[in-house]
Amino acid sequence: MSARPASLAARLLACAWLSAAGVLGAGEPRTSEGFPVPEAGHVFRFPRDHGSHPDFKIEWWYVTGHAYAAGGRRFGFEATFFRSAAPRDGAGAAGSADFGAGQVYLAHMALLDVRTGRFLHEERLNREGWDAGSAVERLAVHNGPWSLEMAPAPGEGMTLSGGIRSEAAFSFHLEPRKPLVEFGDHGYSRKGAAASAASYYLTFPRLELSGTLRYGAETLDVKGEAWMDHEVSSSQLDPGQVGWDWACLQLGDGTEMMCYRMRRADGTVDPFSTLSLVDRQGRVESVGPAGFRWEVLDTWKSPATGAVYPVRVRLTVGARAGKPARVLLLEPLARDQELAGGAGGIPYWEGACRVTDGSGADLGSAFLELTGYAGRLRL
Amino acid sequence: MTDGREHERRADGGARWVILHRIALRHWLGEPRRTALLVLILALGVAVFLSVRLANRAAVASFQNFTDTLTGQSDVLIKAPAGLLPEAVLGELRRGLGTLPVHILPVVEATAAAAPKGGAREAWGRTTYQLLGVDLVSLANLPEARGSGGPLLGRSGEGADGFWSVLRRGPALFVAPALADQAGLKAGSLFPLNIDGAVVELPVAGTIPEPPDGARVPDTLIVLDLPALQSLAGRQGKLDRVEFVVEPGPWAAAVREELPGRLRALGAGRWTVASPGARRQSAETMTRAFRLNLTVLSLVALLVGLYLILQALDGAVVRRRPEIAILRSLGVEERTIRATWIAEAAVLGLAGGILGVCLGWAGAQLAVRLVGQTVNALYFATTVRAAGLAPGEALAAVGLALLSSLAAGWLPAREAARTPPAQVLVRHASDFEGPAFLRNYVLAAGALAAGCVLTQLPPIRLAGGGRFPLAGYAAAFLWIVGGGLLCSLGLPALSRAGRFLSGRYAEARLALSHLARPSGRHRLAVACLLCSVGMTSGMAILVASFESTVRGWVGRSLTADLYVSSDGSQSASSLNGLPEATWRELAAGPGVVDSSVLSAESIEIGGVQTLLSGTQLSAVQRHSDLPWVQRPLDGAVFDPSSNSGLALASESFAERFRKGRGDTVTVPTPSGPRTLRLAGIFADYGNERGSILVERADMARWFDDTHATNVALYLAPGTDADRARSELVARHPGLTVYSNARLRAEILRIFRQTFSITYALEVIGVLVSVVGMALTLSSVLLDRREELATLRALGLTRSEIARSTSAEGLAVTACATAGGILVSLALGWLLIYVINKQSFGWTLGFVRPWGQIAALGLVVVAAGTAVSYGVGLWGAALPADREE
Repeated sequence: MSARPASLAARLLACAWLSAAGVLGAGEPRTSEGFPVPEAGHVFRFPRDHGSHPDFKIEWWYVTGHAYAAGGRRFGFEATFFRSAAPRDGAGAAGSADFGAGQVYLAHMALLDVRTGRFLHEERLNREGWDAGSAVERLAVHNGPWSLEMAPAPGEGMTLSGGIRSEAAFSFHLEPRKPLVEFGDHGYSRKGAAASAASYYLTFPRLELSGTLRYGAETLDVKGEAWMDHEVSSSQLDPGQVGWDWACLQLGDGTEMMCYRMRRADGTVDPFSTLSLVDRQGRVESVGPAGFRWEVLDTWKSPATGAVYPVRVRLTVGARAGKPARVLLLEPLARDQELAGGAGGIPYWEGACRVTDGSGADLGSAFLELTGYAGRLRL
Repeated sequence: MTDGREHERRADGGARWVILHRIALRHWLGEPRRTALLVLILALGVAVFLSVRLANRAAVASFQNFTDTLTGQSDVLIKAPAGLLPEAVLGELRRGLGTLPVHILPVVEATAAAAPKGGAREAWGRTTYQLLGVDLVSLANLPEARGSGGPLLGRSGEGADGFWSVLRRGPALFVAPALADQAGLKAGSLFPLNIDGAVVELPVAGTIPEPPDGARVPDTLIVLDLPALQSLAGRQGKLDRVEFVVEPGPWAAAVREELPGRLRALGAGRWTVASPGARRQSAETMTRAFRLNLTVLSLVALLVGLYLILQALDGAVVRRRPEIAILRSLGVEERTIRATWIAEAAVLGLAGGILGVCLGWAGAQLAVRLVGQTVNALYFATTVRAAGLAPGEALAAVGLALLSSLAAGWLPAREAARTPPAQVLVRHASDFEGPAFLRNYVLAAGALAAGCVLTQLPPIRLAGGGRFPLAGYAAAFLWIVGGGLLCSLGLPALSRAGRFLSGRYAEARLALSHLARPSGRHRLAVACLLCSVGMTSGMAILVASFESTVRGWVGRSLTADLYVSSDGSQSASSLNGLPEATWRELAAGPGVVDSSVLSAESIEIGGVQTLLSGTQLSAVQRHSDLPWVQRPLDGAVFDPSSNSGLALASESFAERFRKGRGDTVTVPTPSGPRTLRLAGIFADYGNERGSILVERADMARWFDDTHATNVALYLAPGTDADRARSELVARHPGLTVYSNARLRAEILRIFRQTFSITYALEVIGVLVSVVGMALTLSSVLLDRREELATLRALGLTRSEIARSTSAEGLAVTACATAGGILVSLALGWLLIYVINKQSFGWTLGFVRPWGQIAALGLVVVAAGTAVSYGVGLWGAALPADREE
């Protein structure tokens, strides 16, 4: 994997995440860089809000999932499209239509062959223009040969085309099996005490996946399940935060969970950390850090970056009204699922997991995301 | 039986070694200076040949996609068959290729001249920079091992601020490390460049990292972000080419296979698909004829060197004849003696060859600039500075040296082996007769006749439009050989005439008496001198004819008072132009009564590169009297209302594409192919690729480009052209403005430069043959040792003997020079009307530069006489009987 571009992209993203968090003046809140800040009470309009929000500094469409082929073959995949806007400082040229200077697009693709533990990943960075971009009125984002697009209404089915170099290629149809979920306060999700540390957070928690996966010499028909986040923000982290742990769980009982834990420099967990439960009907219930426990059972040290990732996690959801406490074990399907940013860059771990109840019984599948372990998210 | 033979063979081998060691080596080592000279001369011949080969190779190898430095070599590239590609093809390409794992890299290329320093207005020879516009962001996606492009962005500052500033601050330069060192550039320094006639000062963003494969970043390469270069060079929305890099992995080979076909299908004729290797190949074929010509000329020096070996070994045979005779009387067989001499020649050849490789490599560094200049002027941009030593070429050169010294050693070896055992007792001036063909005048006359027949044969056509006049060169060879042999006929005649004239000068009569029955050595010396004098004088005729023709052409076609072009647009590779606003302003300038705007585009017809030029054809008729090869039958082509679909073609074009007046040519343009009928063919010495001339307005429409390559301005009568020029220069510091006289001088200079390397090769040949003649005479004197002793006994002084020898040398060189000049007239005709016409398609008028030829002849004769005098002084001191 090319280390240097990755390092550059990671730096770019990290800078976006860490961009000055102060909110200036009264009236419409803006970051010190002049970007708007997500606000509570925003009313989403679809399909427009599946599309791009270029006024905001960062945005991502984040698909993770599990695909199964005949013969018990199982794969985990990640397909992420990031958008990052140029500083709103009024300086510099805007570039041309084909070679824009206002936005850059970053994309990550990863594939895990569970049987062999082989993990492939690739990164692509492009300026806004002929080879990368996103529509505003609907979901249509592309970067190089990779794309994610929602078919025109009715329906919210999506097509994802991705791959890793000349080694893996997939084309998946993703059909929502549960309605869109708006996390946080009707989609307004706080990440820290700073007013700017917030995002609009929209999720398809359960997408039925079908399509083909070309992997090495094989072409496989696959079926499976995927999860898609769409987040819009201008600053994801609060200045005191060093990284986050995030997980999405798709359980066999038809429910899902999403959990993020914002880690602070002093080793504590930020009070804005959240665990959300999605019931069979798609209703969301959220609890703060007091309502769940995140215990690290095992770590893995990356030979590439030296980062130590807590890749095995016990998640305990506290008892709530009428519901008993619940213990869920996140077991990685392979330990090396690091997207190594390389020398000087900021790598992260994003991996397919299986969920058990601690006694070995299978409860479902999950994706675990661990950032800020290869050095603090600060340059 | 077998044992006996084996024993014999071994004894024989042993004897050979003893003889080689005791006789041959001892001599060579005992005369280090003579040995060194001989080896050196052979080495020189090899070196000339090798250095030209290496320089050729380097000049072609240096033609590269400059993007290779950044991306490693791309897998495929597409290019418009004419003009530029619209940027809109990019999105179409990505959509068309679907999910194929391919990096698509658009490229814009431009050139810029170094900005004038101080008041210097000298544009020629100023550095031309290759500006390469690539998307600095997407470049970062290429695998690291592929090139040094990835880290470019990261180099321009840390973090996201640095990243965004590269995208947004406008044009910034990444320069080669060598340039940064040389010009003291750091990030933030301003570097002035002259682009399309305007000087802009651009900030330096950083240096281009050295590619991981250890290749060197070309010194003149400057990288910019693609849109920045587009706007700098006035090419918004246009691309020079698009390159494709297949992503690595198990399918890469299959994708590489599939890609060209998909691209061709997508393009449907709008672009040509090629591999970067094929592009290099086309550069190779483009210059093949030129390089073959050079190689042939470089062989002349080796040919003369071969003759020298023969002379030197022959001299050694003469000197060692007593020893050989003793060996023969001791029972050493003829074949052993012959083998020893052959071995000796081989040793010499090897030593000369190895030294020649060293010299040739050094010489190549010099030659590479000359070849590079020529290639630059005629074909494409080369950045070549140094020539590497190709092992294959070096081996070939050593092999060539070995082979030629063996060939040259064969005659002396036979001569040595024929020495009778009793020789030591009866020494007489054993005339070296040489092989019979030296005296076979019928054969010589036959060679001349065969040469005449060969001149009528067509050239060999090479791929890519090149032509190689093999038959022409063979004819030249036959004429030189035949002429050389026939010329020695002149020696006895000269002897008779000389005796009549020399009257009471005993030394002269003595000298001439030797020429009454010239020895094989004399004949060879004449042939060799004739060869080099003939070639040099022939080349002088070619250059003079060329110059006078070009002078005439320039006089007729350059009639404007001022010529304006953008700086750095003086070579075939330049991409600089003048924006429409600039040339309109120039044409409307004070004192300008008329103007002629020329734009030129490089196009490809049937895989062969040529030029399409646009100008106001009516102005051509008004102002210049084109030298017609085939005059247009009517004035339609000059009338803008009726000349659409008509064109004029240059003679080189007509030769290259075998077209004539009335034929049609289909040229590719960005707006589709155009079929043109050729209304006339004009002589043009401006480029070897040929050109088609059409109405400029049509061309601007076809190419959607109003840039001009140059503008000619006609001033009102009485206007001071020099003043007008100074005013223009002051107003447009980025423009090169030539007055009529200055431009003529520059054009002639370029033409001379084109021939400089061939000329240099011939001069080396002359030097070598004068040295060869000295060796000949020293052999002759060695053979005449007794005679010399007798002369001394008769009371002749050393200087009288030396005068006699110099008279002999004078006669030989005079005879050879006269013959050489005679042959050169024929060679000149051959070079002009056959070889040059066939290789380049240029018709030249025949001019005889008598002054130059006479000077050459005098120098050769004087040098020959002087050297002979020296040899005579040395010979007069030779002891009569002992070995020297």
